[in-house]
Amino acid sequence: MHKIKIAILVSGPPYGKQGASSAYQFCLAALQTGHEIVGVFFYQNGVLNSSYLLSPASDEVNLFKLWQTLALQYKFPLEVCVSAALRRGIVDSIEARLLALPHFNLEKPFVLSGLGQLAELSAKADRLVQFL
Amino acid sequence: MKQKKIGIINRAATYGNTQGREALDLTLALSAFNESLSVFFINDGVYQLLINQHPEHILQKNFSPLFKMLSLYEVNNIYVCAEALRQRNLHVSDLLIDVCILDKAQLIQKLAEQNQLLSF
Repeated sequence: MHKIKIAILVSGPPYGKQGASSAYQFCLAALQTGHEIVGVFFYQNGVLNSSYLLSPASDEVNLFKLWQTLALQYKFPLEVCVSAALRRGIVDSIEARLLALPHFNLEKPFVLSGLGQLAELSAKADRLVQFL
Repeated sequence: MKQKKIGIINRAATYGNTQGREALDLTLALSAFNESLSVFFINDGVYQLLINQHPEHILQKNFSPLFKMLSLYEVNNIYVCAEALRQRNLHVSDLLIDVCILDKAQLIQKLAEQNQLLSF
């Protein structure tokens, strides 16, 4: 089988729309069939997937945890656009310190990065797949 | 390695959501890394290019001057759907930047030429 390198762009939120869940399932299926995920880039409302404060009801799927587990298992980056994130209240410890905010809600394996990283993923991948 | 052709498709009107603004941010950022970008405006997306926008009345920032940055960043492949303009009674003279107007067949052709497409 020909192995394909896939980059994922997630533009949709973790709750309220299906796109991000579909993105996760797509990644899982691709990895289980021997393809490579070169990275997932979160943009627009997609950045909300990266907040560790997400607290769905206990009998519902926790998409944040699923992303975290999959990325650690298969060692691909979860890049979060910093400008989209800050506008939506997603900050890591460094930004929280810089902006004098009392809290942060993003940590590894999610990382804040710029749109340049999306350009890099796009260049690296055979396919770029966007989920709205 | 040959650079990938990336097409950015704008389908949404300027305000009411941030699709247009975030697509433009993405386009300008990608232009630093990729010289083969094409930007498409179809359906309500054509409203993004109107001159004389005053979104401050609805608590939004007017980002339309940023469209002028596209030519500075050498993003020159800007395609607008002729039918979308016609349906909305808009004309080239209503638009704030120079664009290439394409009919449906030409648009389909241009879209098919892209290696990757992003939709907003």
